[in-house]
Amino acid sequence: MKLALGPLLYYWSREDTLAFYESALSWPVDVVYLGETVCSRRHLLRLPDWIELAEKFADAGKQAVLASQTLIESESDLKALRKVVADRRFLVEANEWGAVRLLAEARHPFVAGPTLNAYNPDTLALLADLGATRWVPPVEMPRDMLASMPVPAGMETELFAYGRLPLAFSARCFTARHYNLQKDDCQFRCIEHPDGLVLASREGEDFLCINGIQTQSARVMSLAHRLDELKAAKVDLLRISPQARHTERIATLFRALLDGTLAPADAPAKLAPLMPAQPCDGYWLGEAGMAWQPERHLEEITP
Amino acid sequence: MKLPAFPKSLARVVSRLPAWPPSAAFAAACNRAAWPTLGELDWSAAHGKHFRVHVKDIGLSMYLSVAPDGLRAEKAGPVDVTFTATAEDFARLSLRLEDPDTLFFNRRLLIEGDTDLGLTLKNLLDAVDWDELTRRMPLGMGRLAQALRRRTGGGDTLAALP
Amino acid sequence: MPLLELICPAGSLPALKAAVDHGADGVYLGLKDNTNARNFAGLNFDEKSLKEGIRYAQGKGRKVLMALNTYPQPDTLPRWHKAVDTAADLGVNAIILADPGLMGYAVRTHPELRLHLSVQGSATSYEAVNFYRERFGIRRAVLPRVLSLPQVENVVKNTEVEIELFAFGGLCVMVEGRCLLSSYACGDSPNTFGACSPGHAVRWEQTPKGMETRLNGVLIDRYADNEKAGYPTLCKGRFEVQGETYYALEEPTSLNSLEMLPEMARMGIAAVKIEGRQRSPAYVAQVTRVWRAAIDSVKRAPEQFKALPAWMAELAKVSEGSMNTLGAYYRPWK
Repeated sequence: MKLALGPLLYYWSREDTLAFYESALSWPVDVVYLGETVCSRRHLLRLPDWIELAEKFADAGKQAVLASQTLIESESDLKALRKVVADRRFLVEANEWGAVRLLAEARHPFVAGPTLNAYNPDTLALLADLGATRWVPPVEMPRDMLASMPVPAGMETELFAYGRLPLAFSARCFTARHYNLQKDDCQFRCIEHPDGLVLASREGEDFLCINGIQTQSARVMSLAHRLDELKAAKVDLLRISPQARHTERIATLFRALLDGTLAPADAPAKLAPLMPAQPCDGYWLGEAGMAWQPERHLEEITP
Repeated sequence: MKLPAFPKSLARVVSRLPAWPPSAAFAAACNRAAWPTLGELDWSAAHGKHFRVHVKDIGLSMYLSVAPDGLRAEKAGPVDVTFTATAEDFARLSLRLEDPDTLFFNRRLLIEGDTDLGLTLKNLLDAVDWDELTRRMPLGMGRLAQALRRRTGGGDTLAALP
Repeated sequence: MPLLELICPAGSLPALKAAVDHGADGVYLGLKDNTNARNFAGLNFDEKSLKEGIRYAQGKGRKVLMALNTYPQPDTLPRWHKAVDTAADLGVNAIILADPGLMGYAVRTHPELRLHLSVQGSATSYEAVNFYRERFGIRRAVLPRVLSLPQVENVVKNTEVEIELFAFGGLCVMVEGRCLLSSYACGDSPNTFGACSPGHAVRWEQTPKGMETRLNGVLIDRYADNEKAGYPTLCKGRFEVQGETYYALEEPTSLNSLEMLPEMARMGIAAVKIEGRQRSPAYVAQVTRVWRAAIDSVKRAPEQFKALPAWMAELAKVSEGSMNTLGAYYRPWK
């Protein structure tokens, strides 16, 4: 099993972003996803910057993947997408079907991102046919559904295993809305919230997390304690989603887990102090995503 | 045209009556007038469930359940779901002059308890063919219902828009 | 190429008849299971009512479009296949799909069947729309409610696929097909279960503090007696952000794009869609009447078109929270 560092979902200063990736060059991860997938207005790093980082990671012996924008709205979004596809040196994560079209046309292999909604074998087979060499299931996919998916030969399965869950995308920027700004004049206030902006119920329960046009879970999905179930479900890569602090230590803990030097049962206690919020693992169990039931073990998959 | 408001003095009397007679009267009337049509829908999701129709302006509660052969009156007690609205709004809903969701948005209809059951009942009632229902009503009831609906601005004679 | 066809919701046979009787050019509907995105108890069609609905609508020269717009799953894939077969056998005018795998099945099995791309397919660019065109020959695409009108026009100009827009009704703030808020809170999402905030997870309760709406126990909103309510969806809830309690994502409001009809006509929008399969025949009748009148008016004399106050009042009356918005069609909304 391999470790992947997912695309950075937040907007950080240029210095912070570059420092994060400079440091990540030496982290024990095998794959690194690079690029802005959330908001096309974010511009502190441009495609040439991401490509430069990709080159560095490739030199460091890691697989670099350029991740494409999830919500394409304008012609300039398409222009940016075409540039990503045109580079051809790196694997690309396609996060909507326009990217799939361009990548298939260019006969360039790609990662089918979680928002392509591959919920069944036919769609997965189609993706393989179009050139996908890896797929990331929708983050809500339960273990039982994943286990019953026949994965085409040569295709890897990468699961979102750690981080605040990306749950929804909108045309509206909720961070701008919070500051009574229009999106076109958002003043990039999301930069003030390096782990997003938490939204609580009126009873004080942390519930969701606003990240520009993206809505995330407030809770942090963590499947580290379920390593055996992940292996049994034939997951090939675990995706760790970057957070403002401690990402290196989280990656190191996951590496220890894969190396067998950290017992899965001990993982929650080790991870808890590194999380910006409470954990959850409900989706994997086929329940509400926000549920957290580390003690509940799924029965073995019967073929 | 508005439906006539329920007289306040009468409301006071009604609110003091025990729940059972109105429930029984309603169930009997409904079974006679409407069950031949209503009965054709699939009510299995509601079988064995108890619900309360709470007419808030006159303080009247009817306790009912759905059995395979029609509506049943029940004794007052715990229910699975409660519908609360005024007499006029219930009347407008049953004449299909009003959309339940619109009443809900306007806080004129409240569904408390088992929401799924409440929505099932709502959706099943929406699925009733009104013309068929009134055509099969006994005596003059169907004609009366049609006339009432027309007089209150419903049916095919909805005022022409500009 | 059609122009501004009026496509109305039918959650039941009476709603279908109301739509047809009040001037819909087409109705859209679904079966009584999770093969469509309005999977609510007591709603939708079985084979018998579907046959009668098709007979009624097509007998009056109107179209029946069947939504099969959820994502099939490995264990239950045959159910979606069977639904496609049923639609083809009974002679619907088109099926509305979101899942490319299912489109493949439809094309292989029923090559004559007309395919529409559902809003649940999340296609927001012509590159995406053209993908489905090339691969599966889709004839129409329903765009998610996230593009501004100029962005919509850019799609129209760059594809031969007919474009259908949501015109009125419940407003998804999120890109349809890419929203998991419901399953995060209660386990069931539109993508797989076919419903957002399904009834089994919703509780309404009148309390001394106001009417409370909960989804799987999470307090989504509490309404004072004088406040209008909205659907129990998470995107229309009131939440606390940095000590401030407000509608953090969107107010309880409905989309109403009626005043944009002349623009839509000019751009060549093939069809406009009214949301609301979960609503009653009374709603369908009210809304269809208004939109029929407005579309006729814009087709007669686009330059003179005015959104009449009587129309707007009628539409506001049935709207969520009694409020209307132009949504993303109007850029400042974003």
